[in-house]
Amino acid sequence: MTWLRLHRHALADALRRIAAQPLASAFSILVLAVAISLPVLAAVALQSAGTVAASLDTEPHVNVFLALDATDEDVRRIGEALRSNPEALSVKFIPRAQALEELKSSTHLAEILDSLNGNPLPHAFTVRVRTTDLAKLNDARDAWSKLPKVDQVAADFEWSERLGRWIHFGNTLLATVACVLAAAVAFIVGHLIRLQVVSQREEIEVSQLVGATASDVRRPFLYHGLSQGALAGAAAVGLAAAVAAWLGSQLRVLTPSYAAEWKLVFLSPWSCLAVVGIAGALGLAGAWWAVGRELRRFGPAR
Amino acid sequence: MIQFSSVAKRYEGGLEALRGVSLEIGAGEMVAVTGHSGAGKSTLLKLAAGIERATGGTVMVHGQNVGALGETALAMLRRRIGFVFQDHKLLFDRNAFENVALPLRVSGFAGDEIGRRVRAALDKVGLLARERAMPVALSGGEQQRLCIARAIVNRPSILIADEPTGNLDADYAGAILELFQSFHRVGVTVLLSSHDEAGIGRLGCRRVALASGAIAP
Repeated sequence: MTWLRLHRHALADALRRIAAQPLASAFSILVLAVAISLPVLAAVALQSAGTVAASLDTEPHVNVFLALDATDEDVRRIGEALRSNPEALSVKFIPRAQALEELKSSTHLAEILDSLNGNPLPHAFTVRVRTTDLAKLNDARDAWSKLPKVDQVAADFEWSERLGRWIHFGNTLLATVACVLAAAVAFIVGHLIRLQVVSQREEIEVSQLVGATASDVRRPFLYHGLSQGALAGAAAVGLAAAVAAWLGSQLRVLTPSYAAEWKLVFLSPWSCLAVVGIAGALGLAGAWWAVGRELRRFGPAR
Repeated sequence: MIQFSSVAKRYEGGLEALRGVSLEIGAGEMVAVTGHSGAGKSTLLKLAAGIERATGGTVMVHGQNVGALGETALAMLRRRIGFVFQDHKLLFDRNAFENVALPLRVSGFAGDEIGRRVRAALDKVGLLARERAMPVALSGGEQQRLCIARAIVNRPSILIADEPTGNLDADYAGAILELFQSFHRVGVTVLLSSHDEAGIGRLGCRRVALASGAIAP
């Protein structure tokens, strides 16, 4: 019971210290909140980009364009060659006339296309492939581009693959930035706690003289760091949510027609809790470092 | 209760405050250490309270070798000893009640128990009516008594006071010494230092004279 009471007192003491200087506490918590909200916003952006990427057609497929003078016999021969490849899942033939109609209906180029003599588009095959292994795909592409009367082989999945790699890079960048800012949060809290320790040096000294142990002295400061960090984490989540909501509304205005599925995806409640928890832990770590350092400096009374 | 065996204390910088002091203070005994300033009185008292560590010899308190105690054990020992500091060491940003309550808060006492014990201690030193006063509003003698109240609030079996009558006029000093005698009468081991030979003489307790860090014959 004594143990519990000591912790309750230390927590009450820490909250009292925060409340005793409301303006100063609010500013420090705001500074911390801004620092924490940056990686949170970056995570929101990446998560949103990931959602967009997932909604796109990323099934790997290869377009095989034939030469303009390819005959029906060539089409049959190339079709068979494509189907016989073990990597091909399905092969779809798109005649040049159909390709022209599709182009006319989906773009505003109808007039220009009509003014041309004949159809400038070649016959084409769309091949869905079984593998996402780049080496195998490259082998297949090389083999197919060597077939007679094949003009060009284009792998349309490359850009989505590239997007995936960018998102992966973004995640790495996010982790790095988050680590740097986490260290910053710990140091800021540590510095604030250090100032507290120095300003309460007399109280600490007298407490030690009447029998306070090192952990008795450390306890209220640790709770102070913990609560400061956790409050800053909560403020950061609020701040990030406000910014994300505003950006989301701007994004809706910008992309009304062609990208209706583009919207910001905010963190889940569990992730928000994790942010608060991690921020609290960082505050605790900073306080631990600062108190330990200061106590060693002016040393226990002996 | 307190036992010094060939105790030496050399401070950083070379000052030799105590040289081979051997002294035994029994349970419930009252001992006054006298001597000029710089004779080593304060050092002797701080060693007995575990505030300083000896650089030679051994100090035994409550059957424990103070020099061999770890940080936590030392803190626990200090909780069982009341110490009245020469410079009071009061906290000026809190009132009389909170100053006296500090040792109890450190030890993790419950709120109502703290209130009871603090008021009892303040009553004992005659400051009950001033529990809300800030230390700066108290006279020198009242600050001294506040410091005594803080020393006895934990109901220690050993009470140590460093020059408790230092800056007080004779009447007030007499009242303070009378207070210590009352603690001694209820079984508390009392160790105090003073350069006021006359005042100590009236106490009629055992006297130990220190001169240049050694016990004078």
